[in-house]
Amino acid sequence: MLSVEALKIRYGEVEAVRRVDLTVDSGEIIALVGANGAGKSSTLGAVAGLVPAASGKVIFDGADITGLAPEAIARKGVALVPEGRRIFASLTVADNLRLGGAVHQPAAEARLREEEMLELFPILRRYHRVKGGNLSGGEQQMLAIARALMGKPRMILLDEPSLGLAPQLIDTVFDLIAELRRKGLTILLVEQNVALALEIADRAVVLANGEVVLAGTAKELASSDLVRQAYLGA
Amino acid sequence: MPSLYRLHRAALCAAVFGIAAISTSSAEEIIIGAATAQTGGLAPYDQPALAGLRMSLDELNAKGGLGGKYTVKLLIKDTRSDTAQTATVAQELIDAGAKIMITPCDADPSISAGQLTQPLGIPTLTLCGSAPVLTGAVGDVMFGTYPADNVQATAVADFAVSEGKKKVFLLTSPDSTYTANLPEYFGKVFEKKGGAIVGRGTFSMGQPDFSAEITNIKGLADKPDLIMTAAYEPDFPAFIQQLRGAGVTIPVYGADAIGTPTIKALGKLVDGVVYTAAGYAEPGSKLEAFNAAFTKYAGHAPESTYEVNGYEIALILDQAVKTAGSDDPKAIRDAIAGLKDFEGITGKITYAGTDRMPLRPVALMRYEGGEGKHVETLIPEAADVPAP
Amino acid sequence: MIAQQIINAVSLGGVYALLALGLAIVFSIVGLINFAHGELMTLSGYALLASLVLGFPFPVAVLVAVSCGALAAVAMERIAFRPMRGASVTSLLLTSFAVSSLLKVVFQNGISARPQAVAMPGWMTGAFSFGDFTIGVGPSISIVVSALALIALEVFLRRSVTGTAMRAAAEDFDVVRLMGIPASRIIATAFLLSGLLAGLAAMLWVAQRASVDPLMGFTPVLKAFIAAVVGGLGSLPGAVAGGFLLGIIEVLLQATLPGAIAPYRDAIVLSGVIAVLLVRPQGLIPAVRAQRS
Repeated sequence: MLSVEALKIRYGEVEAVRRVDLTVDSGEIIALVGANGAGKSSTLGAVAGLVPAASGKVIFDGADITGLAPEAIARKGVALVPEGRRIFASLTVADNLRLGGAVHQPAAEARLREEEMLELFPILRRYHRVKGGNLSGGEQQMLAIARALMGKPRMILLDEPSLGLAPQLIDTVFDLIAELRRKGLTILLVEQNVALALEIADRAVVLANGEVVLAGTAKELASSDLVRQAYLGA
Repeated sequence: MPSLYRLHRAALCAAVFGIAAISTSSAEEIIIGAATAQTGGLAPYDQPALAGLRMSLDELNAKGGLGGKYTVKLLIKDTRSDTAQTATVAQELIDAGAKIMITPCDADPSISAGQLTQPLGIPTLTLCGSAPVLTGAVGDVMFGTYPADNVQATAVADFAVSEGKKKVFLLTSPDSTYTANLPEYFGKVFEKKGGAIVGRGTFSMGQPDFSAEITNIKGLADKPDLIMTAAYEPDFPAFIQQLRGAGVTIPVYGADAIGTPTIKALGKLVDGVVYTAAGYAEPGSKLEAFNAAFTKYAGHAPESTYEVNGYEIALILDQAVKTAGSDDPKAIRDAIAGLKDFEGITGKITYAGTDRMPLRPVALMRYEGGEGKHVETLIPEAADVPAP
Repeated sequence: MIAQQIINAVSLGGVYALLALGLAIVFSIVGLINFAHGELMTLSGYALLASLVLGFPFPVAVLVAVSCGALAAVAMERIAFRPMRGASVTSLLLTSFAVSSLLKVVFQNGISARPQAVAMPGWMTGAFSFGDFTIGVGPSISIVVSALALIALEVFLRRSVTGTAMRAAAEDFDVVRLMGIPASRIIATAFLLSGLLAGLAAMLWVAQRASVDPLMGFTPVLKAFIAAVVGGLGSLPGAVAGGFLLGIIEVLLQATLPGAIAPYRDAIVLSGVIAVLLVRPQGLIPAVRAQRS
């Protein structure tokens, strides 16, 4: 469904991503793991169109989407839930959701979709009229995911969904991710919590210094020495 | 406006040819530098005056030039209505060989140019700057050409007194000599002749809102029967629009700077407003003939009396060169300073015995139904005119 | 007297609020302080004059003039600012100065350096009286129009999807784009709104001044900038608050300062502005900006 080929990203003189190749098949969860600064978020940014690629290609559904504007990529069915959630703090939960589904569908359909989201995230129904900035971290993460889902994406890019959340909330978020996959959504997950990521993912790609150092099924990686020593603390 | 395009092109040509002229300069040529505003707030005054001057110089050149001898090269540079820029372009004109300098219709830039020409003894004439302090601030090379502010103010005050006005409100702006002093000159004459000043107000030039000042006028315990101001465009239209909009019907008088097409086009709003001009074209007068000739020359009628004033500047220079018998700037200066009862287009012009602000007639005008109607033309008594 | 001065202050403040809002809307989205905003006013003023000269009825002329302001703002974005998208704040600022100077020269050379009289309909110079209290038609219209414009804008920003997206974009533009909402649409709408506000403000301005001239936009854009900074740059409620505050201070000083100090009025106003900023560096009502990691 998605393939990234020889992606390179530069910020000025700094090469954030030297070379990343990866593929995501329909219905899969692929985890992109690695240390801070390995180039995970930059890779997601390039897929979503927020970060320009210095070279390489991003192919979605057989079409080259490299260099398209973020809004164009979003309309093709790729949704990014950015790191730090970045919900609109001064807007109500309702308005945050409304924007998520604003342009993809007729108003009536958007209302139905919103109802689905409120079913999926009961907490958002409770805080429907509350400003996003007043929600807790976990609630904001729910809102960010719900907002991304409003546009009925076929693929969702999750950037560090567990960051800064209490352990029981992390479980809730990951249960949700599993649930989304069951519903047929394709997921590319960036996560620093490697153990958690490998638990949920089908396959994983390990990045270090902007390069792919290891790739395989989650099971293979979980038992590989490199991953165990470097990321799982074993 | 097409005339403006023409001026720009003319300025460009003058600049190009001016440079060429220096290298081939013959003894029969005299360079006049015009540091005048083609853009900015003073442009509406400088441009008509300059158009009159150009017409006059063209005519003189056709007859051999100033004094019949010295063909005039007029170099025009834009001051952008900026005082510092005026000094810059004046210096450029001096460097280009100007022996006579023409400066904008306002005291401040004229003084800045005059400070450069004074040490060199280059006679300097303001197009229609009318502040009487102007010539004293520079020195003996600086000449006014238009009726001075204190002369105009005296004429308006004489008229107001003759109408039976008793109580005046003075509206001034400290932002220019003209707007600050002219109403005060009026006040001095008005008080001397039995009137009273019942209030004063100020504004900043370009100020959008006069409502607070107008409310103050409405709240005066002693109601004025006249408001005197030297505000001009765009402040005058704003003031009178808001004054009438607030329901105040007290007459407003001003001076020469509101004798413009813009103010006239305000129509009913300015009915009854009295202002001054350098002359009035009575049937059969020289001014009427000038207006016709100017219309032919420029393709449009004169907008005001600034055109004829500009035209007269060249006549004054012509006479001065004739008297001096040379193109020596100092001799020309002396000749201008000695001019007495020179027959211009609008009447007799005298410099002898003055502080180089000319004695000349003032025409009083009044807007009625969108037209400027002549009220009377007078030369105020010298004894009545307040000192600058 | 006091009641009159309050009306004066609200009337002037309303115009400043419209202008400051126009600046703030664009700034909140693209980080540009558009100093050519004043020239949008000038353009609307000339459009009004032209429409009246062509013999359009007054309401039609006003409609044409305001539309001209709005369209010119969109065109300005297309031609001058879009190629500069993503440039630094300083580059954008300089671009807006360039556009402003260029338009001024175009007005001066293409129309006239001289102010052009705009004859307002006679009823606009009338006044209502209540006992010995009179209120001019001009200030009343000014207050009503400002109030309606502010309400309409508020409704647009709260209720419509595009309005909501604009509020969101002021906080975090990238994420709005991630929602599939085109950046160009948001930016164009911001300029359109700012142009509409400039056009409306121009109508009120011209109604009070009875003339248009090439430089007439300079003072208002300066006032709007001051109001927007006092209110909190990029904050829309702040711009409105700043506009009214500036109007009130100006009228208050004009009404009460003794003649000898009156020339220092603008200096006093600006000192007040500095005082406000010392106490509240982010302005009266600071803008909400996303914390970027």
